[in-house]
Amino acid sequence: MKLRFWFLLPARIWLTMLLAVPLGIICVYSLLTRGAYGGVSLPWTAENFTRLADPLYGAILLRSLWMAAAATALCLLMGFPLALFIARARKWRGLYLFLVILPFWTSFLVRTYAWMFLLRDTGLVNAALQAAGIIREPLTLLYNNGAVLLGLVYGYLPFMVLPLYSTLERQDPALLEAAADLGAKPLAALFRVVIPLAAPGIRAGSILVFIPCVGAFLTPDLLGGGKTVMIGNLVQNQFTTARDWPFGSSVSLALMTVVVALVVLFLRRDAEEAL
Amino acid sequence: MNRRIFFLGLTGLAGCTRDRRQRLNVYNWSNYVGAGTIPDFEREFGVRVRYGVYESNEEMLAKAMTGNSGWDVMFPSNSLIDPMRQNGLLAPLRHQWLSNLGNLEPRFRSPAWDPDLRWSMPYMWGASGIVFDRKMNPRPAAWSDLWRPVLRNHITMLDDGPEVLGACLKKLGYSLNSCRSDELEKARAEAMAQKMLLRAYLNAEARDQLVSGDITAAQLWATTSQQAMDAAPALDFVFPEEGFALYADTAVVLRESRRERLAHEFLDYLLRPAVGAAIVKETRTATANRAALELLPESVRQSATLYPPEETLRRGEWFEPLPAAGQRLRDRIWTEIKSA
Amino acid sequence: MKPGLSLYAAAVYAFLHLPLLILAAFSFNSSRFTVWEGFSLRWYRAALSDPNLAEAAWNSVVIAIVSTILSTMVGTLCAYGFWKRRDRVLSNALYLSLVTPEIVMGVSLLAFFQWTFRFLHWRLGLHTVILAHVAFSIAYVVIVIAARLRTLDGSLEEAAMDLGATEWGAFRLVTLPALGPGIASAAMLALTVSFDDYVITSMVAGVDSETLPMWIYATARRGANPTINAISALIVVFFGALILLSERLRGSQK
Repeated sequence: MKLRFWFLLPARIWLTMLLAVPLGIICVYSLLTRGAYGGVSLPWTAENFTRLADPLYGAILLRSLWMAAAATALCLLMGFPLALFIARARKWRGLYLFLVILPFWTSFLVRTYAWMFLLRDTGLVNAALQAAGIIREPLTLLYNNGAVLLGLVYGYLPFMVLPLYSTLERQDPALLEAAADLGAKPLAALFRVVIPLAAPGIRAGSILVFIPCVGAFLTPDLLGGGKTVMIGNLVQNQFTTARDWPFGSSVSLALMTVVVALVVLFLRRDAEEAL
Repeated sequence: MNRRIFFLGLTGLAGCTRDRRQRLNVYNWSNYVGAGTIPDFEREFGVRVRYGVYESNEEMLAKAMTGNSGWDVMFPSNSLIDPMRQNGLLAPLRHQWLSNLGNLEPRFRSPAWDPDLRWSMPYMWGASGIVFDRKMNPRPAAWSDLWRPVLRNHITMLDDGPEVLGACLKKLGYSLNSCRSDELEKARAEAMAQKMLLRAYLNAEARDQLVSGDITAAQLWATTSQQAMDAAPALDFVFPEEGFALYADTAVVLRESRRERLAHEFLDYLLRPAVGAAIVKETRTATANRAALELLPESVRQSATLYPPEETLRRGEWFEPLPAAGQRLRDRIWTEIKSA
Repeated sequence: MKPGLSLYAAAVYAFLHLPLLILAAFSFNSSRFTVWEGFSLRWYRAALSDPNLAEAAWNSVVIAIVSTILSTMVGTLCAYGFWKRRDRVLSNALYLSLVTPEIVMGVSLLAFFQWTFRFLHWRLGLHTVILAHVAFSIAYVVIVIAARLRTLDGSLEEAAMDLGATEWGAFRLVTLPALGPGIASAAMLALTVSFDDYVITSMVAGVDSETLPMWIYATARRGANPTINAISALIVVFFGALILLSERLRGSQK
C-alpha cells in the first residue's frame, strides 16, 4: 500500500538521522579507549565489554530491572482505577485528564525536592503521623528503596494513566450492560470484560513506565540518598564525573539490548505487540 | 488553540529588535555573581552579556570539548585546567589586558596548577570540612569523628567520589589524590564501614537537613556550610585535623572565542575590588581577590569558615588531575561503595 | 462502584498535587530555607524581574509547543502505518529511543550535531533542541496512538473504501476523528516530556537556547531557592489558565 510508505517515512527519516546515527556513534565509542583527559581516543579495544563481566555491574542491572518492574506494577494498580474514573466521567473529562498532567509541568527536580521535604524526619508526613498518635519517633521515610519507588511511581503515573484512558474511553458501555444482563456482578464484569479489553492500554502503559524507569537516575540519587546505584546512575556517572565515555557507552548498549529483548519477549508471548 | 499560540509566538519573536551591541557569552556556576554585576558591566562597556549557568564541571567540559560551543568565558575547577589545556581548549591569557591581576591573593598569583597564570584566573575557592550541631559532645575535630557509631543515621557525606575518598584517605594519613591501589583499598574499607552509619550521600541538600535538625553532622563545602550557619546559629564548622580538600574555580578564555579582548576586559572587571566585594556580599563565597576582601567588613574577613587562618590552610590539599588508570580504579571503588 | 471510584480518584489527585501545594506554599516564604518565616512576595518579584529566567521560560514554551506539534504529526502517521502492517525494524527502533539513557542520547546527539555542523557551519540552538525533542517524543506518541488504534475496527475503513473513498480519504474521514482523544492524550504526553527535559536539552542547547529546566537544575543543585518555586507556580498557573481557556472555547463551540 503506497500510502503506508509515506506515512512511515517521516518517522523513518527522523529516527535514522537522530537515533540510528547517534547510536552508531555510541557503538563506535564503546570500542575506543578513554581519552587521557576525557573524551575518546584510539586504540580500538574490546575491554569495555569485558569489564561488564564483573558481577558488580550484573547486580546493579538486576536491581534496576526489579525496581522498574515494581514501579510499573504499582503504577498499574494505582493508575487503572483513576483512568477508569476519567473514562466513565460524563462531563469534565478534559479537566480530569488535565489535572493528571498539571503537576508535571513543574520541574521534576522541584517536585522531587517537595517530596523530600514531605518525607523528612521533620517533614509533614511524620508530623501528621505523630500528631495522630500512630508513631512516637519519626520514621525514616527518606533515603531508602521505598522512597525511590514512591518517586518513580509519582513521576511516571501519567504515562500509565494516559494510554489506559485512551483505550478505556473507547469501551462501549453497552458491553457492561450486556454483562449485567447475563448476571455478572460489577466486580466480575470489571475483571472479565473491562480489563481484558483494556489490554492494549495496559501493555502500552507498562512499556512507557518500565523502560524509562530502568534508566532512571535522578530519583534514586535524590530520594535514595545516593546510597544505591541503579544502572542509570552508573551510566550517568561514566559520562560525567568518571569521564569514561567508552565504558559508559558499553554499559548503555548492554542496558538497551537487555531491555529491548525483555520487552519484545514480553509482548511476543501475547501474540500481539504494542506497536 | 495550539496553532494560535504558535503563530502569536512567532510574531513575538519576529518583533524582537535586533541588538547591535557586541556580545560576550559567559558560562558560570550558579550563584557566583551578584544581581548587579552583569548589568553594570553591560552598561559600562556598552555590550550585551549572555550569562549561562551550569551545575557540574562535566557539563561545562562537554560543551567546551566540542570546540564550537559558542561560549567565550568559562569557570572550570582547578583540576580541569591541565586537561583542558592539553585538549587545546584554552586561549592563553594576555596579562597586558589584565591590569588588576595584582589584586589576587598572593597564594593565587602563582598556584600549583598554573604557576604563571598563563591559562586561568582564580576566581573563587573553597574547601570541604565538617559542619555540625553545637550540641554534639565532644565537638568533632577530625574526619574520624564522622565514624562514631553514636551518630548512626544522623550524618551524611558528600555525594562526590573524590570528596568521600579524599576524606577516607586523609583519615588514614594518605594523600588526597592518591592512586595507589593499596591505599585506595584501605580507603574503600573505611568508606564501607561508614556507609552503615550514614543517612545518605548528600550535596547541597544537606544544608536544608541541617537547618531543620534532621541530621547532626555532615561533610559539606565551607560555602554551603556558611549558608547553613547563617540560617541556623546552632551550627558550627571545622576543618578536620587530618587535612581536607581544597578547590578553586578559575576563569578561562576559550580558544574558540572570537572576542578575546572583551573576554579579558570581563575578567579584569571581575578583579576590581568594588565589583568583587559586591559579588561576595551577595554570594557569601570565598573570593581569591584580596583587594575585594579588604573592602568587606571585619566580620566577613574573620569568618573562620570562609577565610580560615594560615595554619589551618596549610593542612589543606588541592585536588589534582589524575592519570587514567588511577581515575578508573577510583571510579570502580566509588561504584562499589555506592552499590553496597 | 461509582462513589468508591470517585473517592479513590480524589485521593490519587491529592497524592499528585500535594508536592505542588507545598511548592506553592513555600514560594511565599520570606526565608530562603524550608522553615517558614513569614509571608513574602520577594521570590515572585525576583522571578519576574530576571530577564534570563523570562527568556529561559519562553524558550521552553516555544520548544515544547513546536516539538509537540511535530512529534504528534509524525507519531500519528507512524502509528497508523504500523496498524496496517507491522514494521519490526522501526518498532524496535522506537523501543530503543525509549530505553536509551538520556545522557547517552545527549552525548551522541551532541557528537552527531558537531560532525554535521562542521560541514554546514551551523551552531547549536533552538533548532537542535527541537530536533532532539521530537526524536525522543515520537515513541511516546506512537505507543499511545497505537493502543487506541487497537480498539478501532479496521473494517470501517474498508467499508468506506467500498463506498468510494480513497485510502487517504478513509484515513482522514473515518480513522482520524476516531483517534481524537488518543491524539490529545499523546500530545499532552509529548508536551510534558519535552517541557521538563533537562539532560538531553542541556547537551544540545546552544548559547542562546537556555531552557527553564536548565536554569532550574543549575540553581537548585546549589540548594533550595524559592525563586524556583515561584517560577514553577507561575508556569502551572499559566498553563492551567491556557488549557481552561481552550476548554471553555471548545465547549462554547459545541
